Amino acid sequence: MIALLAISTVTLGTLGLGAWGVRFVRTTSDLLVASRSVTAWWNAAAISGEYLSAASFLGIAGLEMKLGASALWQSLGFTAGYLALLLFVAAPLRRFGSYTIPDFVEARLRSPRVRPLAAAIVLLIGGFYLLPQLKGAGLALNVVTGAPYWVGVMLVAAIVAVNVAIGGMRGITYVQAFQFWIKVFAISVPACVLLIHFGGLPGRAALFGNELPRAPHALTVKLSGSEQVTFPAAAHITIGDRPVTVAAGAQRTLPGGVPIHLPAGTVVPVAQGTVAQTGAQWSRPVGGTDDSSPLLVYSLLVATFLGTMGLPHILVRFYTNPDGHAARRTTVRVLSLLGLFYAFPAVYGALGRTLTPQLYMTGQTDSVVLTLPRAAWPGTVGTLLGALTAAGAFAAFLSTSSGLLVSLAGTISHDVWPRLRRETTGGVAVRRTRFRVAALGAMVVPALLALLAQSVDISILVGWAFAIAASTFCPMFLLGVWWTRLSARGAAVGMLTGALLATAAIFTGLALGDESTSVIGALLAQPALITVPVAFVVMIAVSLRSPAPAAASAEMLALHAPEGLGLRLAEDDLDAPPARASVIIER
Amino acid sequence: MSAADGDRTPPPLRSPRQELADSTAHGDVYLRRLRHAQLQLSLLALVAFGAVFGVLPLALYLLPGLDHVHLLGVPLTIWILLVPLWPLFIAIGWLYARRADALDAAFRDLVEK
Repeated sequence: MIALLAISTVTLGTLGLGAWGVRFVRTTSDLLVASRSVTAWWNAAAISGEYLSAASFLGIAGLEMKLGASALWQSLGFTAGYLALLLFVAAPLRRFGSYTIPDFVEARLRSPRVRPLAAAIVLLIGGFYLLPQLKGAGLALNVVTGAPYWVGVMLVAAIVAVNVAIGGMRGITYVQAFQFWIKVFAISVPACVLLIHFGGLPGRAALFGNELPRAPHALTVKLSGSEQVTFPAAAHITIGDRPVTVAAGAQRTLPGGVPIHLPAGTVVPVAQGTVAQTGAQWSRPVGGTDDSSPLLVYSLLVATFLGTMGLPHILVRFYTNPDGHAARRTTVRVLSLLGLFYAFPAVYGALGRTLTPQLYMTGQTDSVVLTLPRAAWPGTVGTLLGALTAAGAFAAFLSTSSGLLVSLAGTISHDVWPRLRRETTGGVAVRRTRFRVAALGAMVVPALLALLAQSVDISILVGWAFAIAASTFCPMFLLGVWWTRLSARGAAVGMLTGALLATAAIFTGLALGDESTSVIGALLAQPALITVPVAFVVMIAVSLRSPAPAAASAEMLALHAPEGLGLRLAEDDLDAPPARASVIIER
Repeated sequence: MSAADGDRTPPPLRSPRQELADSTAHGDVYLRRLRHAQLQLSLLALVAFGAVFGVLPLALYLLPGLDHVHLLGVPLTIWILLVPLWPLFIAIGWLYARRADALDAAFRDLVEK
């Protein structure tokens, strides 16, 4: 009940701030003018606030509990992505002044024909990234209120879609910065309080020694549906009123809706798709099991390191920096803010392994951040801490999915719709209506897919979005910013190759399921290690074979010349942004 | 404002600013030099980053003995993942941003002199 109250407060607070912000922005007439007074720290908090999604808030801890310490690479990769962004694209992209990736593609390559492809890839990445946010929402509401999974998915999808459609939660810096600090507070306070309460990490043998996770006390588990589980060790359990003895290594189908009692000290059975690991295996960051093979770790690091710059909702955030210099300063601050946040999810994965091992049985390790406080510390304190993590999780879903939906709806209303209807651009009112309809429509497909993807881990889903971004927009940005010879054809063929290869690998991996062998399975599950180099090679080769493009000196000047020299067109004239930008601002 | 220098010079001698603004061969050379210096700096930072972070998974894989070294009851490998990499990221980022801004400032001096 308290948790529900906390969630409602965060949601209403966000909506309210958004509505207030809209009025604020309208009175100052223009987002850009307002943004000039924003300091680098505020900007950095806003970028981090939009970036920290369900994958960071729930997914990393869940994956750590399930797979082990190898999941920590993910938080490092998520942060390192901003280092790549800083080193290669932050200042040039800010100076170039494109708001969206399709804008950049069209302007840099002087080719409107590549634009639809870039728009299509934005939709693909955005959709893949929205999916795990909605999955997280379904899970969270289920844990907090017991509502069925689909209720949470549909509820958050509807809230975000309506909110974006009526104009709330646009790229308002202060709202996003506020969301960042909510998330830091919500993840750090329960983690610290629990660590102090237990005087460190309990049950070290199951974490780092040779033990499997055992029930810390007598557990009663109710499965939502019947499920096949594997017993890693012999156990005496009670299903309903019926005592059952199970041999080590046995597989059993346990019924749903019936209370299953595990006496204290029972080695907890694991759901399908989960491997029972001893503490020593669990705590190995590389090479403990197939799921942490060095190949997979490297592929994940490549995807996150290079994929961050290609996420559709990040680029527009950089526009609130007044110049390239500020974009660099902001990005360095983002690195430290993300470091602050990512110190904490690891605590939940480790505590969850010893205190809520029943999640191995239900397969819902993704919910450990939400379940842990109440299970670990029954009573008022646990309930309050649980309410706090639930509120933080909702802040994560709302901020990331709103940012994504704004990008998706903008792309649909600007790039897809006019093409389908063969309309000319139309007036401001037409464009605004179009954006609203697109915001509602763009939510439908991810929401439906989220209903199907209940059993896929949040972190895995997000990993795919990063893999596609790293195989498409990353080579396009890196070559487009630093290489004058990149041709429109090269960029198009390269992005298409990367997108098709990465998507095909992911779906093949899904279709093959657990039957794939380890090396190939690893690369199908996280294909970036192969698809990124291929995309680069294709992009370079096709560019070299197509006729040399005009020297691109105007574009290079716009990308690399520092501000304040009077060299750029309409430089520092923020009251008159380029015509393309108007679409974004009018929202 | 500071283009006054260029205005005073006789027509054949053009200021770097005019060369850049008109995108002449000389202007392109100035800009290319800046771009190459910036890229070199970025690649240097990338190499420094890769030398530590990029090698780490392989090193931890090849040195399984590290798992048995415990510090405050937690394996050293986990400490390595949790603590020292964040300051490394921030340090590389901060040093890079400082140098990159200095390169921009040098270019600005060249154009404005």
